Amino acid sequence: MSKLFDARGLSCPAPVLMVKKALDDSSHQEISIVVDNEASMENVSRFLASRSFEVEVVPKKGEFEITGKANILAGTTESAGESGKTTKYSASAPSSTSSGSQPSSLSNNDLSAKETQQKIMVFAATDRVGFGDDELGKKLMVSFIKTIKEMGDDLWMLVFVNNGVKLTIEGSLVLEDLLQYEADGIKIMVCGTCLTHFNLLDAKKVGETTNMLDIVSSMQFADKVIKI
Amino acid sequence: MGGVPKTAMNLVAFPLQKLGGEVLREVLSGGIDKLKESGTVLLGGHSIEDDEFKYGLSITGFVHPKRILANKGLKSGDCLILTKPLGTGIINTAVKGGLASQSTIDLAVRVMSTLNKYAAKIMDNFDISACTDVTGFGLLGHLAEMISGSDIGAVLDSSLVPILPETVEFASMGFVPSGAHGNRKFRQCLVELKSSVTPIMRDILFDPQTSGGLLMGCPENQSQHLIKMLIDEGVEDAAIIGRVCERNYNKDIKGMIVVE
Repeated sequence: MSKLFDARGLSCPAPVLMVKKALDDSSHQEISIVVDNEASMENVSRFLASRSFEVEVVPKKGEFEITGKANILAGTTESAGESGKTTKYSASAPSSTSSGSQPSSLSNNDLSAKETQQKIMVFAATDRVGFGDDELGKKLMVSFIKTIKEMGDDLWMLVFVNNGVKLTIEGSLVLEDLLQYEADGIKIMVCGTCLTHFNLLDAKKVGETTNMLDIVSSMQFADKVIKI
Repeated sequence: MGGVPKTAMNLVAFPLQKLGGEVLREVLSGGIDKLKESGTVLLGGHSIEDDEFKYGLSITGFVHPKRILANKGLKSGDCLILTKPLGTGIINTAVKGGLASQSTIDLAVRVMSTLNKYAAKIMDNFDISACTDVTGFGLLGHLAEMISGSDIGAVLDSSLVPILPETVEFASMGFVPSGAHGNRKFRQCLVELKSSVTPIMRDILFDPQTSGGLLMGCPENQSQHLIKMLIDEGVEDAAIIGRVCERNYNKDIKGMIVVE
């Protein structure tokens, strides 16, 4: 039996908090909540969807009854018993393609994928590997960039700062490899301050121009950061 | 925009029994810190006891009549520049729900308590066509105000808009303030969202901001230089987020915002 919560007369975020508390206190297979404004309807629906509930909204004279059923089965069809007034709601996950300035959206990925797969960030603050002979260092960097694809799906993001941004510009020996990585869905972020510093903003040929805030918050979401 | 603040009056409604004098003292002292930073003198103020705490300032300043920057006047071809990241409304809502991490709260507080005077000072050296500050109407609401009824339109690239960390997560979990909803209802008739823009991103673009950044139009050939100067001077999130134009893919978009 579904438990009914009354959030009429409350405005955001109170209705969401009411549902959150209910779910935190005990597990519910089914939960219903009545709200009296559209903003709360959207927020509560979105919250339930984010907790893997299948959500149905029935509008009733300016009020909305929202029902969440646990255990989402992908592709379930509209239940036949309901009239045409029912609308199904599923919170669309933020698209990772347009997430240039919000790398955090990647944490919303499918949970099962998250468990088996780690997110590795490679942070390149130079265009050569190690100290000693610079010519050797540059060769090693080319080899490094070409070889990291062996990390497979775990390779999540490449960040280029300081001299590292020179790997992303016209004439770089690894430009083709980086373009392929980008096409394969690996995020490539290039420090805007650094490009500006070297006057290379227009020469950059791959990746998204980014800022320190993006880099730092991405580091926080990465499972592993490899600095080179 | 374009003026310099000179004098200020405190406006306070405060539940003295509930919150106690110390809270009020701290708020007023925080306000004075920012007044000092902005070169403004506090003249006095008005206060009253009230159930819900409210605090604000009434400011008077000077502006040269020929240097007033209105929120109208964007020119076709301008780049649109935003100087602070979005998300304070959503994060403040998540704070009420006890969800925001301390690092996100610290960052949001830092963004909100950063004065726009530094960005404004740099802006002074460029041929800015129009400027406004992004506050309660959200980015799209304020941009709509700049172009509604005019003979220009705007194309916004949502992937370029700076956004505070965790904002996307909180919005996906339903921590969107009702103001964002109101902003959208009021202005969505002027906004065309491309299919790549998720409902989450849409809500972030309509999210009411507390002490948001400046939104301005700058000639394209000056905009990279402006961004560089802003970043060099510590306005580190400043970004070009779109452009002003009359047509988009051969479609007339006068008075409209297209979000990609």
